[in-house]
This record gives sequence, C-alpha cells and structure tokens, in this order.
Amino acid sequence: MSDGKSILVIGGGISGVTTAIEAAEAGYDTYIVEKNPYLGGRVAQLNKYFPKLCPPYCGLEINFRRIRQNPKIRFYTLAEVESVSGSEGNFNVSIKQNPRMVNNKCTACSKCVEACPVERPNSFNFGMDKTKAIYLPHDMSFPMKYVIDPSVCPGTSCAKCVGACTYNAIDLSMKAESVKINVGSIVYATGWNPYDATKMENLGFGKVKNVITNVMMERLAAINGPTKGVIQRPSDQKQPKNVAFVQCAGSRDENHLKHCSGICCMATLKQATYLRESDSASTAFMYYIDLRTPGKYEDFLKKVSSDENVKLIKGKVAKIEEDPETMDPILIVEDILGGKKIRHQVDMVVLATGMEPSAKATGAGIKLDSDGFALTEGQMAGVYSSGVAKSPNDVTTSLQDATAAALKGIQSLVSAGRK
Amino acid sequence: MGAERHSTVLTPDVGFVKGLIGSGADNLKRCYQCATCSVVCDLTPQDNPFPRKEMIMAQWGLKEALSKDPDIWLCHNCNDCTKYCPRGARPGDVIAALRKSAIAENAFPKFMGKLIGSPALTIIALAVPVVLFLIILSTGGYLQIPEGQVVFDKFFPIHYVDPIFITVATLVLVSFVVSVRKFWNRLNVEPYKLLAYGQFMPSFIETLKEIVAHAKFGKCGANKDRTTAHRLVLFGFIGLFITTNWAVFYLYVFSWASPYSIEADKIPSVFGGSQAMAAMAYGAFKIFGNVSALLLLIGGIMVISNRMKDRGFVSKTSSFDWTFAVIILLLVITGILSEMLRLSNLPIAYPMYFAHLVFVFYIIAYLPFSKLAHMVYRTTAITYSKMAKRDIM
Repeated sequence: MSDGKSILVIGGGISGVTTAIEAAEAGYDTYIVEKNPYLGGRVAQLNKYFPKLCPPYCGLEINFRRIRQNPKIRFYTLAEVESVSGSEGNFNVSIKQNPRMVNNKCTACSKCVEACPVERPNSFNFGMDKTKAIYLPHDMSFPMKYVIDPSVCPGTSCAKCVGACTYNAIDLSMKAESVKINVGSIVYATGWNPYDATKMENLGFGKVKNVITNVMMERLAAINGPTKGVIQRPSDQKQPKNVAFVQCAGSRDENHLKHCSGICCMATLKQATYLRESDSASTAFMYYIDLRTPGKYEDFLKKVSSDENVKLIKGKVAKIEEDPETMDPILIVEDILGGKKIRHQVDMVVLATGMEPSAKATGAGIKLDSDGFALTEGQMAGVYSSGVAKSPNDVTTSLQDATAAALKGIQSLVSAGRK
Repeated sequence: MGAERHSTVLTPDVGFVKGLIGSGADNLKRCYQCATCSVVCDLTPQDNPFPRKEMIMAQWGLKEALSKDPDIWLCHNCNDCTKYCPRGARPGDVIAALRKSAIAENAFPKFMGKLIGSPALTIIALAVPVVLFLIILSTGGYLQIPEGQVVFDKFFPIHYVDPIFITVATLVLVSFVVSVRKFWNRLNVEPYKLLAYGQFMPSFIETLKEIVAHAKFGKCGANKDRTTAHRLVLFGFIGLFITTNWAVFYLYVFSWASPYSIEADKIPSVFGGSQAMAAMAYGAFKIFGNVSALLLLIGGIMVISNRMKDRGFVSKTSSFDWTFAVIILLLVITGILSEMLRLSNLPIAYPMYFAHLVFVFYIIAYLPFSKLAHMVYRTTAITYSKMAKRDIM
C-alpha cells in the first residue's frame, strides 16, 4: 500500500496521536492503530491536567481537528497489531480490525441506545455506571460513532437497534478483518493501564466499598462522568468531607510495580483541588512516602499545600479496614514525623494507583526493561517508542517525547530510503 | 529528631552495620522508610512503633541507641513486615540480626559471645567438650568401650557427668546474672525509664503466661506455622529439663541409679519394698523423658521444614540460626539413638552417647551466648516492656 514510506504508530493516546500528527504535518504518511473504539486514550478520561488545571478535552479537540484535516493520517480504531515482520524501511504489519457493527453513516443520534435492551458496565468510567450494548464511548468520542460491545450484544436475534436506526448505520454481520500494511518505521505508543488495585489485598479495594482509585476519582470529578462531576462515595452516594489519598498504591513496591509512576503525587495534589473546590468544608489527607513533585511542579505543591485543609502526612498506608456501621474506611498508618501508629477514619479513600505499561501484557515486538517499559537502546532499527510506553511520564513530557519519536520515525524512513 | 532546633550528633558504627549485613540483614540498606512494616506488624506498640525506626537506626549504625531498644525483643519474627516490604529490605531479618548482636553485646565473658556468634567457629565450640571429656575420661582410665551389657555409667560414669554439668550450669547462671544486669541497665533509660519497680512480679508472671500460651506468636500472620514448631521445641526442652532433674532426684535422694533396677533388693527404700511402686516410678520417668524427647524431635524437624517452605516471602535466616537449629536436631537425634542402641545392647551406643553429651554440653554451656539465650533476654525485655507500659498484649 505504501511501500515502506509510512510510519506506523501503535497506540492512539495522546503520545501516539502527537507522533502521528507531527510526522504527518512534516509530510509523511502515518497510520495509527488503536484498540479502543476512540482516540485519545487515558487523557480522554482525565478531568483536568496538572498543573494548569485545564480540561484535556480542549487539547484533544485541537488534535482531532488536525487529524481530520490531514489526509496523510489514517487511523484504525478497535484494531490491534497482530504481527510485524521485516526490517527498517520494509515492515509488513498485519492488523486485526475488530468489528464496530456501526458504519460511517452513524450520526450519533442515539436512537439505537433508546432501543437497546442490554446494559454493560461502562469501562470508560471504570464500571461506575452503565451504558447500553450499543453506546458512544464518551461525549467527545473521535470518531463520533457508536459502537456495539459484542461481548454483551445478543446480535441478530435482537436487532432492535437496527430497526431504530434511520440511517442504516448498524450492521450486525460485521466480522473481524485482517488488514495488511507495509511501513518503513514503527513507533510504539502503547501507554499504560492503571495498576489493578485488587492485587493489593491489604488496601481493601473491592472489599472496602469506599475505597476508589485515582482514575475513578478523575471520572467522578468530570462533568461528563458517572455523577456529572459530583464527587460521591460509592456506598451511599454521600459527598465525602474527609478524603484520604494513599500514595504509592502499588508503585515503588517490588511486590507490585517496582518503578515510581512519577505522576501520582501531582495527580493527588490535583485531585485534592477537585475535592476542595467541591466543598469548602472538606479536607484532603495525603499520605505519602516522599513527595515527588520535581522541578517546576514544586510550585504546584506549594500552592496546593498552602490550603490548610490539604494535609500532607508522611507514612505509607499499608492496611485499610471498614467500619461496618458507617461504611467509612479506616486507614492504618504510621505517622512517621509524629512517631505514632494511627487509625484514621475517613469518608472515602483514593488509592493513587500507578501506571502499568501496556506493552508488558501485549508482548509487543519491542524489547522491554524489567518493569515492562520499552528500552531506549538496543531496539531493532526502525523501531521506536514514545510516551508512557517508554517511561512513566506526565502528559507534557509525553508530548515532548512523542514529537521526538516522530522525528526518529522520519529519520528512519529517510535513511532506509537512501540505502 | 524532635521539633526543637538543636544539633544532634550521630555516631555511625560502620562495623556494626557490616556485622548486621553479614548476619542475614543484607538488604538492610534498601529500606526507604515507608513504614509499611510498622503498619502490618500486630505486635508493635502504637507509640514509636517498630520496626521502621529500627531500620533507620540500623542503616545509620546507631549501635548505642539500638542496644537500649526493648522493641527488638517484642518482635517474634512473624515476618509480616518482610512479606509486605515494598523494597525487599526484610525487616524481620534485620531485627533478628539485631537480637543476635544484642546477645553478643551483653555476653559475659565477651569472647564467648564472639565464639558462639560466629558460625565459622562452631567447630571450635564443639571441640571444647570433646577435648574436655577425653581428658577427663583418660585421666580416670575410662577411655575404652566396656564389655558386656551396655550401661552408660560404665563408659562415662555419672559421678563424672554430674560434676561437669553442675559446674557448667553454675557458670551459666553467673554469666546470665551479669549479662541480664547489663542488659536491664541498658534498657532502663529514657524514654522508657521506669519510675517504680512494683510492677515487676505481675509483669513477670504475665510474661511467663504469655510464653507458655505463645500469645504473641498467635498474632503472627505470614509465619503462623512457626507457632506449633516453637511450642513443641519449648515444651520439649522444659520436659527434658524436668527429666534431668528427676534423674538427679532419683540418684541423690533415692540413691537409685540408672539403669533403675526394679529387682526387689535394689529398689529404693522409699518404695517400702513395693516393686509395683518402683515400676510405676520408673515407668513414669521413662515415659515423661521419651515424650519430651519426641516433642523436641518433632518440633525441631518442623522448625527446619518450615524454613524450607515457600511462604510467599524470603527470609534469609542467618547461619547463626541454622547452626543452632541443626545442633538442636543433632542433640535430640543422638539422644534417641543412644537410647535405642543401648536397648539393643550394641556397643556403638557408647560413642553415640559421647556425641550426645558433646551436644548437651554445647546447648547448656553456651546457653548465654547462643540463640537459646533469647529465652532469657526476651523474657527480661517483655517483662521490662510491660513495666514500662510498652507492651500491647
């Protein structure tokens, strides 16, 4: 198709999208392969960016427009790379295109949703609410098309959505297809998954009802989230007054993620502002091992911690119990500077779970370090990585890295072309 | 570490840190002070909990501060801390190494602490009784395998055995008195300095009750299996201690010597000529002794098998610990074999008995310096902690 003149970007999150756009705007054909039904990845799920506290939708919208306007960018959603063979300048890539069951005629009118009788947990909101089996992944999904979850849709035996759709946009007979492309270089921008909090049995996630994770907190605080931006605790939908943030929940822990996820301290400080803005009588307690707010982020730490209702306590929470009467979580922690082991009862706990690199699970054709991040040295010629696939970065660093990866991809094309 | 601004001078003892690292605490410096250990520990007091503070004191080589710390003895090596430690620093092993160091530090005479504390010198420690026994036996003209029915008294007369061990036991007692005094004075300083001593007896009794019931062990999570093993070893030792004194009683009070003949003309006068009474006294004594030995054997095997088991965490028990576990096992195995070979009337029973006495000597003579000294130090420290209101049981 493209005879080794294109760049393949695996992963359509903020890093992958940036790499693809930067390369395309420099004049090179690019492909994005994204496994979700939408582009934008983890950033699309955030309520606000730190430290500016602006909504990520804003930046994503600009990027989506750049993609729409640029014919050099082609993207596959609901797609996964099945295999890669060949070498720099001539990679044969097989992509599995999973069926969306909805074609390009979809106008996102939502008549199908009204007709659909089946529900599924909303993975975009980490299961805190439900969608129908046919759904729009989120308000600003790109592409703006509905999608059917084949794991819950009964298919042609139901087909109520097909009848409801006035645009003939639903095709329940769609099957997975294999797409073959030829590219010159590949950038892995496979990003991360939130670490599975149930693995830390001592922190009670999944057992103690009012223990949530930081990514859930983003969705709770988001205006397009399950609670329309109202921070509520799961057990009784009460708005919590006292919220404890548990840092290093899984990170810097050789029993879980050995690496420091790098962003959780800033994310917690940011989320403390969500809480404080939602209720002036609320208090945020941040339990930490070390506060890792490097460089200019120190200012953000100072700003947030100058609020006397944001309390920073040195000590790692290593046990969480539940008060059976109130359903309040009780943290057990050593207040190191105070020299006491304490039990602290709060309304809700947010676990600052870390970033688990996705490449680890997919077994991608890229060499990884022991933590599952792509190695920067020693990769096959023409293979690069960007963003969190490479190291646990915040968005700003990921963007810089993604732009650099675009240049590497281009240089690879040029040098392979000369041979 | 207080809030007030004054200079604090810390004197790190590098040799001390190296010593800890050498005795099983090799990952000590990995600790980054998150305090997971203090949280998952169910034996720690709420105020100034352990083992987080011990970890940093050990990293900094604060030997002096650690020698005053009663908390290392409240630790029962449950290893919940080690299991949950995010850095693999193994606080359980660090505290175990600290206890070992405390035993050596308080030892009287001090060179004995060094001798028994170094696994490499075990062979010398074992050679001492071998040489001693050989000298005594040869000067008495006993250095040979006797003919006829196997009776240990013919080989190593009881009137040799008893003076040796009574002397040794007396020395052990003196050593312990000196060591425990030193230890107590080290503990009894700020911040837990005792204001009054009235609580000594109640605290001591409470401590003994806890030890018998293994109450602290009961709170262990990760290393629960050890409770039964330790209980069997403890009861085995207590049983054998009683057995020994029982034999001493028969010998010196009833003038009834092993092999405890129950022939009518040889039974002690106290039984009033009743052979049945003598048989009962004999039987009870034998059953008690053998059951005690079995408890020790089973407990010893369990201790070792528990250590080999995968418990979801690593514990590098120091070689100090291993030497001791193996010697206890050898002690009980040689003891049981001596008895069985004697009953089979095989002359090889004699050298086996000799080996057994060597291990008995090791266990008793080196009591204040070996791992077994923990029974005295721990009892002292827990009693002290109870008096200082530091113990949470």
